[in-house]
Amino acid sequence: METIIQKALKRGQRVLSEYDSKRVIQSAGLAVNREKLAGSRKEAISIASEIGYPVVLKGCSDKAAHKTEMGLVKLNLGNAEEVAKAYDEITGKGVDLDGVLVGEMIRGDREFVLGLSRDPQFGPCVMFGVGGIFTEAVKDVTFRVAPITERDAGEMLDEIRLSKLLTAFRGKPAVDRRALVRALVAIGDLGYRSREIAEIDINPVIISGDQPIAVDALVVLQRTEEGESGR
Amino acid sequence: MSMSPAMKIHEARGVSDMEKFFNPSSVVIFGASNAKFNLGAMICKALRDAVQYPGQVYAVNSAGDDVAGAKGCQALEDIREDIDLAVIITPASVIPGLIQKCGARGIRNVIIESSGFSEKGEEGRKLQNEIDRLARFYALRIIGPNCLGVLDIERRFCCMYGAEEIVSVLVRHPGPVSYILQSGGVAELVGERLMDDRLGVNKMVCIGNKSDVNEADLIDYFDTDHTEVICVYLENVKDGRKLMRAVKKTRKPVLVYKSGKSEAGRAAALSHTAGMAQNDAVFDGACRQAGIIRLQSIEELHALPKMFTRMPLLSGNRIAVFTTSGAFGSVGADLLAGTNLVMAEFSDETKSRLSRIPGVFNAANPVDIGPAPPEIYLEIYNILLTSGEVDGMLHLAGMWRDFVQDVMQALVGFCRRQRKPAALYAYNSMGKLLAARQEKELPVFYTAEEAVRALEVSYQQYLYLDKKEEPLWKP
Repeated sequence: METIIQKALKRGQRVLSEYDSKRVIQSAGLAVNREKLAGSRKEAISIASEIGYPVVLKGCSDKAAHKTEMGLVKLNLGNAEEVAKAYDEITGKGVDLDGVLVGEMIRGDREFVLGLSRDPQFGPCVMFGVGGIFTEAVKDVTFRVAPITERDAGEMLDEIRLSKLLTAFRGKPAVDRRALVRALVAIGDLGYRSREIAEIDINPVIISGDQPIAVDALVVLQRTEEGESGR
Repeated sequence: MSMSPAMKIHEARGVSDMEKFFNPSSVVIFGASNAKFNLGAMICKALRDAVQYPGQVYAVNSAGDDVAGAKGCQALEDIREDIDLAVIITPASVIPGLIQKCGARGIRNVIIESSGFSEKGEEGRKLQNEIDRLARFYALRIIGPNCLGVLDIERRFCCMYGAEEIVSVLVRHPGPVSYILQSGGVAELVGERLMDDRLGVNKMVCIGNKSDVNEADLIDYFDTDHTEVICVYLENVKDGRKLMRAVKKTRKPVLVYKSGKSEAGRAAALSHTAGMAQNDAVFDGACRQAGIIRLQSIEELHALPKMFTRMPLLSGNRIAVFTTSGAFGSVGADLLAGTNLVMAEFSDETKSRLSRIPGVFNAANPVDIGPAPPEIYLEIYNILLTSGEVDGMLHLAGMWRDFVQDVMQALVGFCRRQRKPAALYAYNSMGKLLAARQEKELPVFYTAEEAVRALEVSYQQYLYLDKKEEPLWKP
């Protein structure tokens, strides 16, 4: 994890690519969707059949913060032909890519956001809330100052207005609260420990069955000077 | 985290160096003179007349005149006796020089009331940095600048100007509530409202620009003195983690009203998280995490503390509403519905005990009674508070009959014995209510909303006490 961040900083990156961002949060203990980086059309098809259809293809780059708007995301691809077509379209956009992410398509009705930010007075703070495309419109989020206890994390889950989404909902099982609690605690620890991380955005975290799976992530970096406080 | 050596000395100093801000045996007022509208003179007058300060007061002015009982002198050097505290109310530009003199003389506590510092642009900021540097150099503690200073009712010290009238009333009833206020205006509001509500102030501090002493230092200090409830008004937080640590350490309720809710988040944030991490949302989470009771209005600063000083904590969420008006029964139930408290459900046994009492219109919750003698009130209180089905009471009664004050007083005693609180409100006879508050020290609230809030914050504190563990981070 350290090396991913160090390398990116050395290259002058402001953010980590989706692939690298997910590796960082995965090493902190969060569940992410199965995915691999493909360097060719052929490789993309082979990864897709290994993961199992349907799959998602995404152009992967630290310069692509708005992938959907840039046409770099192709969802719900059902066979090799569709994967090949999607691969060509993504690589044809003229964006400088690290490769194309071929990932497991996670389905679920409930989407949450987990995150980390730094407050000038309180330092690193963990966020939890309702995620997905309406995150900013709904604005149903809550914060705690990192690092946090499991109790803090549990309170966060109960504190959002739509906390009912975490219970059994429209025929879907109750969300595994312990998994979300562990994830929030891990994000807090990561932010408290790693001064190089300025912000983390994990959105959406889709509830698949009863398990939270991160399907997109963004880690924003900051340069730290010797002796400067991480807070 | 790197820290200059001077900084370390500063941080290492504890609550003991707060003592002389409140309990000095001698004080020098720089800038107190007999000129018209002189603020320093007002402080001398307040010390002599409003609190009858028992210590020695010196007034430093160019003429060396005595001021309102304070011994006059032209310079600090003219005073030979020991000085515990310096209060400065002079033009800002001469203050660094005065701090230097105080430091060299061995004075360790300074209150700077003058304005003209960081609140006043670049020049002011430079001046404030200069006094910060001097404070560290001489290891002295500073309250302010740009503040109204300190009031200690219990030990009769006051260096607030313009507060003489209020202070001379408050001083008659020392009590257990202490205030940390980042505004002189809020001090005036709170002080004035408390004149007719015998809450009992212990201390009040206006912290102004808080170049050195801040809310966390004072919470630490109030954790060690006779304070029972700590009320805070903040416009900004300097060191959020230090504040959280201080609150986590004390078991006394800490009530905070913070202004500046609408402050916008950092526009340059790259992630959604940072975009939504507005100052207020983070502060709100920090309050819940540390155990700060966040107040919803500035009036709650003076209205709610009595719930903590006069009543036991609410240790469960089941509330019985008692009323002499069906309307207020409904109002009470509606107000409770907006909180995490619930209307207590009565067992058949409780209901039948209530229904056997003459004059009870509704033997369920809310309990509604018609005209009845005092014994009936007392019997109902007894049934409700000993049923095991009720954690607290919301008492919404008319007070036009004189005995209602007496039964309310009996109820307060009963609540203390049963370790269950009642929030008291009267929907008529406001004059009697105010008299009852003053004479019988009844914790009566001004509105039904306030009474419900009182129950809510009492329960919040009860829940907070369960998680007063050390924070996970290092200081």
